[in-house]
Amino acid sequence: MNTTPGTATAGNGGGFDPRQAAVLLGQTTQQARRQFEPSPPWFLAIRAVMVLVAYGAVWLSVRGQHPYTHPTVAALPGVFAFVVVNLGATVVLARRATAGVSGRSRLSRGEIAIMAVVWIGVFAVMGALAGAGVSDAIVYGLYPAAVPLIAAGVAWAGIMAARGNQRASGTALAVAAVGIAGLFAGPAGAWAVAGVGLFLVLLGTAAVIARRQRA
Amino acid sequence: MTDDGLDPLIHVPTRLKIVATLAALPEGDALSFTRLQDMIGLTPGNLIIHLRKLEEADYISSEKTRNGTVSMTTVALTGHGRTALDTYTQALRDLLGGL
Repeated sequence: MNTTPGTATAGNGGGFDPRQAAVLLGQTTQQARRQFEPSPPWFLAIRAVMVLVAYGAVWLSVRGQHPYTHPTVAALPGVFAFVVVNLGATVVLARRATAGVSGRSRLSRGEIAIMAVVWIGVFAVMGALAGAGVSDAIVYGLYPAAVPLIAAGVAWAGIMAARGNQRASGTALAVAAVGIAGLFAGPAGAWAVAGVGLFLVLLGTAAVIARRQRA
Repeated sequence: MTDDGLDPLIHVPTRLKIVATLAALPEGDALSFTRLQDMIGLTPGNLIIHLRKLEEADYISSEKTRNGTVSMTTVALTGHGRTALDTYTQALRDLLGGL
C-alpha cells in the first residue's frame, strides 16, 4: 500500500512544503515512539492501580494483627493475580514493541540471568529465614514487602545504568527506595508503604513516558 | 541542499518517515525490513528504492542474516544519518520560525 505522497517515483521532495514536513516528522516520531515503547503509559497506570489494590488488600488483612502473624489467605489471591497478570501483560507488550528490533533494546541472556538469580535468591533467603525460626513479623511482613523491591530495584538499576538508560535506572532506584522506606514502617505498615510507593512510582513513570512521546 | 537549506535526501515524505522511524530506536538498534514496511505502509519494492538511496548516502546501514532457510534483512540509522536528521530538523525549525 502506497499512501504517502512522493513515494511512487522515489521523488525528490519537489512541492513538499516545509510545514507539511514538520507535521509529518512530528507525527511519525510520536507514532514510532509509541510503537517501540514496551511500557506504554496506559499499561503503567493500570499496573499502578493493580499494585495499590493488591498491596492494599494485604495491608488491610494484617493491620490489626497484634502480634503480627502473616497476611490472610483471602488477601493473597489479589497479590498472585497482580503478579500473573503483570508478568503476562509485560511479556506480551514487550514482545510486540520489540518485534523486529535487534540490538541493545533487547535484554541479553546475562541480564535475564541476573534478574532470575535475584528473584530466586530473594525467595530462597525468605525460605531459609522461615526455616531458621526468624520471627513472623520479618519472614511474612517486612521481608516480603520490602526486600524484593530493594533487591530487584538495585539489580535493575545497575543493568539499566550499564546500558546508559538513565530514565529506567532512576525508576528502578525509586522502587528500591520504596522498599527501604518500607523497612522503617513495621511489618504491617511495610505493605502500605510498598503499595502507595509503587503506585506513585508507576504513575510518575507513566507521566514521564507520555510527555516524552508527545515531545 | 534544496533552496531552503533542507537536505533533499530526507526532504521526501517517505524517506522522512523512514529516517524518523529508525531514529525513534535507541542508537545502534536495527529494525527488520518487514516491521519497517508495516510501520511505513509501503510495498517492498518502493521501500527498497528509498532504502537504497539512503544507504548510498550512508544514512542507513542494512544487514542480511540467514537462519537456516529463513533470511532476514535489518536496517539501522547510522551516526551520519542521525546527524543528518538532527540538521534537517534544525533547518526546518529555523525555516518555520522565520515564517
